[in-house]
Amino acid sequence: MLLAETLRSSTLKLALLAIGLFGSVMFALIGYLYWSTASYVGSRSDRAIAAEQIVLKEAYERAGRDGLTATISQRIADGRLESGVYLLADASFVSIGGNLKFWPAALKDAQGWASITQKSTPEAVALPLLRVAFETLPDGSHLLVGRNIYDLDTFVGAIRTALAGTIGFLIVLAGMAAFLITRRTVGRIEAINTTSRAIMQSGLGQRMPLRGTRDEWDRLAQNLNLMLSRIEELMTEVKQVSDNVAHDLRTPLTRMHARLEKAHDQPRDSARDQALISDTMGDLSTVLGMFSSLLRIAQIEGNSRSDAFCTVNLAEIAGDVVELFDAAAEEVGGRIKMQSQEPVLVTGDRDLLFDAIANVVDNAIKFGGEAGRVTVDVVERDGTPLVSIADHGPGIPFEQRTHVLKRFYRLEHSRHASGNGLGLSLVAAVAKLHDARIEMLDNAPGLVFRLWFPRGTEHQSHS
Amino acid sequence: MAGARRRILVVEDDPVTAEQVADSLANNGYEVDIAADGNVGLRRGRSAEYAVMTIDRMLPGIDGITVIRQLRKEGIITPALILSALGEVDDRVRGLRAGGDDYLVKPFAFVELLARVEALARRSTAVLKETMLQAGDLELDLVSRTAKRSGREIALRPREFEVLWYLVRNQGRVVSRAMLLQHVWDLHFDPTTNIIDVYVGRVRRKVDGQHTYPLIHTVRGVGFCLRAPG
Repeated sequence: MLLAETLRSSTLKLALLAIGLFGSVMFALIGYLYWSTASYVGSRSDRAIAAEQIVLKEAYERAGRDGLTATISQRIADGRLESGVYLLADASFVSIGGNLKFWPAALKDAQGWASITQKSTPEAVALPLLRVAFETLPDGSHLLVGRNIYDLDTFVGAIRTALAGTIGFLIVLAGMAAFLITRRTVGRIEAINTTSRAIMQSGLGQRMPLRGTRDEWDRLAQNLNLMLSRIEELMTEVKQVSDNVAHDLRTPLTRMHARLEKAHDQPRDSARDQALISDTMGDLSTVLGMFSSLLRIAQIEGNSRSDAFCTVNLAEIAGDVVELFDAAAEEVGGRIKMQSQEPVLVTGDRDLLFDAIANVVDNAIKFGGEAGRVTVDVVERDGTPLVSIADHGPGIPFEQRTHVLKRFYRLEHSRHASGNGLGLSLVAAVAKLHDARIEMLDNAPGLVFRLWFPRGTEHQSHS
Repeated sequence: MAGARRRILVVEDDPVTAEQVADSLANNGYEVDIAADGNVGLRRGRSAEYAVMTIDRMLPGIDGITVIRQLRKEGIITPALILSALGEVDDRVRGLRAGGDDYLVKPFAFVELLARVEALARRSTAVLKETMLQAGDLELDLVSRTAKRSGREIALRPREFEVLWYLVRNQGRVVSRAMLLQHVWDLHFDPTTNIIDVYVGRVRRKVDGQHTYPLIHTVRGVGFCLRAPG
């Protein structure tokens, strides 16, 4: 599996391509190196032979054939010229003197150069390889001067072997390295793939394996894990929301069903039917209301800053909210008041801001206003517009403060109060659309809910 | 005005919705024409005199906003009520900018639709220049912005007066919570809480408190109605 994956891998293909390319370049380079070394060695040897040839010809010119024979014998006897080969033959190629037994049959030209191997003239030499120069002397006899170049040839051969070996070794090494690195890469990717498949099959509980090497693979795996955690979180939230929707919908739907079922089995009675229809419509509008709240929040969350935004006075909006909720506060025996009426301007949507502040005030009255006071304050603090709504109710425990902004999240003590648990989600969505920050503080006792809007100047540059 | 059969153009592509809207309007004394797409809507809108047209935001062919914009360009000022499943600020603003007169988000109660159509129909026929309004023994002085019941002054806050004014102006007709919020507070959304009920409740206590005949009635699930006895 891993082998097949490795062989299919694009990394390996690329690596092999690179090895091929560099191999060819290296081959050309080393070939040139070999060629120049070999020809250098060869030409040096040829020059030495030519020099020897000149020496012998001089001897011939000075002292004739006998002088030449004597010089040849002398040179053969000289230990320093061990590798020298000499042969003097008469016009019919019969040996007259020298250390080569007979004239190689192949050399029939008047003069020239030749390399003699055992193969080309098996009878000629006990020596394995000769390089010779030969010529015909004025008296018709033939002179052959040469050297045993076996050592040179061996040397050049050794260089050739070394170079070829280097190329081969490097290619094999690079190939193996490419294969191993690719296999490692493919192995990591395969591990990630395997986990991905497992996640697709069995859920978001699993995480990418880490090796603790903190290399790029670990970082990739870490980021994927973070992403998975975020997705899992969102999924849980969505699931919770749909569970809650299902639960909160079931209550009115069950009521409606039961009521209609009962009415179905009873004889018609216009007064009772009327009440039944009214009750059912009331329940239906609860259900529809919940849906439109959810849609509204989703739409606000999906919106970007809109061109419907304009400069609005937060103090005036909050004042309207306070005025509207005054009756509601009175009804539960509480009191709501507005601290200041100085205009505080922000860029925004009046409807959404009203709805958001109204939701917070509604909560404050519902949970904190019983025989208590709700104070709404709109000020500009250090240039930052601030709306704060304070009550003296039970407040929200610190660790629950971020949760209450989630859809359908309800605190224990509010579970039986009216409402659908969507109010603060709407507030959060509106705040986000206006770049406003939500802050919840302890009012000891009670809650201070604050909305910090962006500074006026920043806001202007936004639009 | 009463008795005059007024024509309404309903531009709606969903046949079931169109039929229901047409029925509920017909039951309330309107003559209804239905156009199933934007092109027909545009043609009908041009050709006949309608008291009001209701128009779906999204239609096959030409969409509702374009139809209204085209009609307005041609000088046709039939009040238009836009019905839409898109409820957000931008859509509403776009709809109203194009020349729509009111905007109602689906799903809506037919009573709400009827209330809005009636408000638009009335606006198209009558420009009221009254300074006094009356409903039974309730009197509103629009100049001094005071209300009296059986000759006795009722202490009302400015907004409470406006709520009462709107109810009296629409007496005998149902006024929805959203309509109140729209006309008294200039806010365009469906209140999810019962806050409007509480507010109107206080107005009702002030108006109907010690009187035998209540004027302000709650219409369950929809809103309120101010009815003079008799």
